[in-house]
Amino acid sequence: MSGYTANQATTAQDASGIDINARAVNYTCGDCDGDVQLKRGEPIRCRNCGHRVLYKKRTNRMVQFEAR
Amino acid sequence: MAPAATNTQWSTDFDTARRQRLFRNPPKDKTAYPLLAETVAPHIESFNALFARGGQIEESLKEIGTKIFLDGDALAPPEEAGVRNRLHVRIQDVFLDKSVLPPSNKVTLGDRKVLPAECRERHVTYRGKLSARIQWKVNNGDWQELVRDLGYVPLMLRSNRCHLETMTPYQLVGAKEESEELGGYFIVNGIEKIIRMLQVGRRNYPMAIRRGAFTNRGPGYTPLGIIIRSVRPDQTSQTNALHYLSDGNVNLRFSWRKAEYLIPVMMVLKALVETNDREIYEGIVGAAGSEGLAEKQFVTDRVEQLLRTYKVYGLHSRAMTRAYLGQKFKVVLQLPEDTSDGEAGTEFLRKIVLPHLGAYKVTEEQDSDKFRMLLFMIRKLYCLVEGDCAVDNPDAVQNLDVLLGGQLYGMIIKEKLDEWLNSIRLPLQDWGRKGNWKPFTSQDFQKDFTAKILRRTVGEDIGKAMEYFLSTGNLVSPTGLDLQQTAGFCVVAEKLNFYRFISHFRMVHRGAFFAQLKTTTVRKLLPESWGFLCPVHTPDGAPCGLLNHLSHKCKIATKSVDVSAIPKLVARMGVSSKASASLKASVVVQLDGRVLGFCSSKQAKVIGDSLRYWKVEGSHGVPLELEIGYVPNSDGGQYPGVYMFSQSARMYRPVKYLPLGKLDYVGPFEQPFMSIACTDPEIVSGDSTHVEYDPTAIFSIVANLTPFSDFNQSPRNMYQCQMGKQTMGTPATAMRYRTDNKSYRLQTGQTPVVRPPLHNEYGLDNFPNGTNAVVAVISYTGYDMDDAMILNKSAHERGFGHGTIYKTKVCNLEEGVRKNRSNKTVSRLFGFAPEGAVKAQWRMHLDDDGLPLVGTMLQNGDIMAAWHTVTYDDTRGELINLDGQTNFFKYKEDEVAFVEEVRVIGADSAAEPCQKISVKLRVPRSPVIGDKFSSRHGQKGVCSQKWPAIDMPFSESGIQPDIIINPHAFPSRMTIGMFVESLAGKAGALHGIAQDSTPFRFDENNTAVDFFGHQLMKAGYNYYGNEPMYSGITGEELAADIYIGVVYYQRLRHMVNDKYQVRTTGPVNSLTGQPIKGRKKGGGIRVGEMERDALLAHGTAFLLQDRLMNCSDYTKTTVCRGCGSFLSTTPTINEYARKKKGPLQVRCRRCATLADSSATKSEVWTDGQGIRYQGGDDIAVVAVPGVLKYLDVELSSMGVRLKFKVGP
Repeated sequence: MSGYTANQATTAQDASGIDINARAVNYTCGDCDGDVQLKRGEPIRCRNCGHRVLYKKRTNRMVQFEAR
Repeated sequence: MAPAATNTQWSTDFDTARRQRLFRNPPKDKTAYPLLAETVAPHIESFNALFARGGQIEESLKEIGTKIFLDGDALAPPEEAGVRNRLHVRIQDVFLDKSVLPPSNKVTLGDRKVLPAECRERHVTYRGKLSARIQWKVNNGDWQELVRDLGYVPLMLRSNRCHLETMTPYQLVGAKEESEELGGYFIVNGIEKIIRMLQVGRRNYPMAIRRGAFTNRGPGYTPLGIIIRSVRPDQTSQTNALHYLSDGNVNLRFSWRKAEYLIPVMMVLKALVETNDREIYEGIVGAAGSEGLAEKQFVTDRVEQLLRTYKVYGLHSRAMTRAYLGQKFKVVLQLPEDTSDGEAGTEFLRKIVLPHLGAYKVTEEQDSDKFRMLLFMIRKLYCLVEGDCAVDNPDAVQNLDVLLGGQLYGMIIKEKLDEWLNSIRLPLQDWGRKGNWKPFTSQDFQKDFTAKILRRTVGEDIGKAMEYFLSTGNLVSPTGLDLQQTAGFCVVAEKLNFYRFISHFRMVHRGAFFAQLKTTTVRKLLPESWGFLCPVHTPDGAPCGLLNHLSHKCKIATKSVDVSAIPKLVARMGVSSKASASLKASVVVQLDGRVLGFCSSKQAKVIGDSLRYWKVEGSHGVPLELEIGYVPNSDGGQYPGVYMFSQSARMYRPVKYLPLGKLDYVGPFEQPFMSIACTDPEIVSGDSTHVEYDPTAIFSIVANLTPFSDFNQSPRNMYQCQMGKQTMGTPATAMRYRTDNKSYRLQTGQTPVVRPPLHNEYGLDNFPNGTNAVVAVISYTGYDMDDAMILNKSAHERGFGHGTIYKTKVCNLEEGVRKNRSNKTVSRLFGFAPEGAVKAQWRMHLDDDGLPLVGTMLQNGDIMAAWHTVTYDDTRGELINLDGQTNFFKYKEDEVAFVEEVRVIGADSAAEPCQKISVKLRVPRSPVIGDKFSSRHGQKGVCSQKWPAIDMPFSESGIQPDIIINPHAFPSRMTIGMFVESLAGKAGALHGIAQDSTPFRFDENNTAVDFFGHQLMKAGYNYYGNEPMYSGITGEELAADIYIGVVYYQRLRHMVNDKYQVRTTGPVNSLTGQPIKGRKKGGGIRVGEMERDALLAHGTAFLLQDRLMNCSDYTKTTVCRGCGSFLSTTPTINEYARKKKGPLQVRCRRCATLADSSATKSEVWTDGQGIRYQGGDDIAVVAVPGVLKYLDVELSSMGVRLKFKVGP
């Protein structure tokens, strides 16, 4: 299947990769459901409750598949 | 106002609103399904009993006792040695804590609990700290105490060491569990493991055995023997066996640390109590002058022989005998060197001889109990030899106990503790040797004992050993724990669907040893199993009959009941301590393998009956759970007596006691001698004492859920039990918090219209397992041949049987990297290398952090996560990447998957960067042609077509079937239950009611067909469930009326997408050139001998050639016609031209001769080394199988030459 047609424009833009080091990504805490911002190499824990499992959030990129 | 207590009464009804309310607002008081919690009770209670007061571990510590070690050089000559000091070490207490964060975590301040859900998500073990308070002293000094850590031990869920123990459904949901979380299993590395229940010999009951292997013990040994599995209070057991020798002698056999020992039983008798020959003689034969002594010539002869042969030992007093035994067994028992022989003998008797009658601090009275029990065993043995009693069947549940998971767990902990204490010996010796044999009394010893000696002990990390046991199921043990197997104790509690999950807890295994046995006697379904083991629910194939399931009403005792009142009661009913000679005049009365006395056979019945009455009544201090096995006198049947059992690991089940009309518990030992009516009309006045509450009580949970199973041929019910457990259903409601490797889910599950009330009682609507389908039984289109079924395409499009597979892939950066202690040694990080370029293509699937985007689609070979190597930079204090290289985890499976969840997993300490992620992938699996479906009657079939709805037949009311099956599926299989279900389902759907499908509810006068037929008639349908139908293609009415109704269909997990295998060319074996096997590796399917035979028989030579040669190891090779050899041909090298165009010249080295000067240039050829030859040019090119050349090479290496005659 070659149905994946993700938005190419945004990827190209993101891929500049200049300061990927400093870019923080948001996760959801597995316990308190709070937002957790983490940078590269930071210890994994919720700042609020100290929980050790974080969930990645659903992407806000457009996800579109060819319906067949 | 407090809300009303949760109602736990259920009926067959749908109860949709109530169920919905329960689901929305989980009860805050108690579970609505108490029956469900009861199913796992044996597991949890046995675990709870471990660390309870007076529990298994406490008893173990008593049995382990104090270990004594001596200082000084053991090898020193006695005159130099002097007085050696004794170091006493004992374990005072063992504690098991609940699961909390380790001290290394300094970040989390508030709630430090680690809940099971977190362990599942993080793929770690749910465990608690085990610690022991040990005490030690030197000589007679003061005890000194210290606490040692014994590592982290896996905990059972919902046990008394689990945070979930007392949680209500509401709290459980909050803890990310099922609202009806059962517990009873362990979580090891994120995988749910359970310890299987194991059938072992009945405890404390001397069994008469005839086993041919007994004769292998030595000359004179006969196949007859008495075996008793004597169980100590700490649940560890020691098997004692008495062997009958052909000369009348009796030897005692036991195993100690996997070695077998045999000693004359007389020696043990004499060592136990101060006795004399007359006492022993009368104890075995019967009191002098008692009734029937004259007929006992057989026994008297043998006892005389027994007494006479023993004389050669010349051991007269008890002390002498004990000293003799002690001297022989001192080393074997690992006793300290300075133990006197007498003490060692006492220790021997304590540890090995019938330890159920006294395993520690053995009193005189207990020794005499052991003595009397041994005498009884000899009595029974002689009786067996004489032929007055039959052998006991060691495979019948009557003579079996159930070893529970918790008990086994405790036994292993005990043994590990014991081994650990013993392991102090070596470090102690090392310490002594290095320190010039300093005495224990020295100051240095005080200092060094904890710091140097205890630290160097082996096996202190009991937690690790237990984790190993649970994750592999292997038992590493120096003693073998008196069990017959060393592997296969633990299994994964697969949550494929709820049936399978719940079945794991009701599973009883007979033992891996019996799986290899060639005889099938152990696998037989015996009438004794009635009500204890389900007759239906056992897999077919290799484990058939060995892997049984408990009947749903069967319970297992997890603790001993209080029987302190029994001996007095029995004594008051006229039991004397002296036995008389004849079996009629005196039969034994025993309680847990202790001889209470002897009485007449008539009296025995009275005792049995009165105790039972009192037991049900609850008076006289006779507990209800006591098992009173009254074995009546018979002509060569089971050895008579009254045998009472009060301890744990027994099966028992509820029945109604008729005299009082109250609940009584019946065990498997007593059941064969009781008269229990199956139904009320079957009660025989004056004979029946009990009646079953319900005949369905004999079935397991899963077998009970087969509708109308009494209408089916019995193997079909077995198949359904199998298939029910392979169904794609709803494994859990907390799917979000689960990280199973693979889990199957049915998207469109429904509650069955036809089900027994048990369906609701076990809360199975929370985990639907299939779909109600309109099923027509016609032969239509021909695509329903041979167990194929036609699916209505529109039904498929509406979501019939739509399923999903969730797979969890763990990406672990620490895998394969050697772990160092320091936390600064993180060597890899997730994410793109900071300095390197990031390709746009990578960003298709990955986010800024190098982890997959949630929702993205993955195909074979796509990247799933990015990582790079890092080193710690001291100056900057951070992790830096040096090479700028980004590496990837890849998705390697063939199927398209979608990223459902990405878990970023932190460490225990919450101070480390991410080293592990777990990605849950979703693989959509809508039904396709080739997927397997089944009804609940062992009628499985494969979907052969999705037939367009317009072409499906339709009934007069316009109903189209969802599924068409072929009528030929029925005559040979006789699954009438499926017809009845179809009928009942149709009537239920028409009237909107749930139908009760409990078996044994209908009979000849009151038939199911009539009952449901009338319901159908009321709804305006044909009484028999047939309907006129019209062809969907022509619109004409079909010639016959079609049987159509509603049947609950399961979608099985076997799907073509996991199975199809196809290959034209592909990977080959590098040695033979033949295709490799294995679907995963892209291999082929073997054309085996039988397939070859078929091709031969059909004369399809070309096909055969194609399969065996062309598509396999077809090789073109050169052969010399002259000498007929493959191996001697060699390509020629042209002397002058670098590379000659044209075909390769090949010559035979063997037929060639060295070129002489007379040879013309065109005749001469050169080999690789530049040697010139002429001749040898009679070469042919042939096609042969590659292995033929290989064979030639192999043979030539052994000096065998193959010569091929090449024609024409």
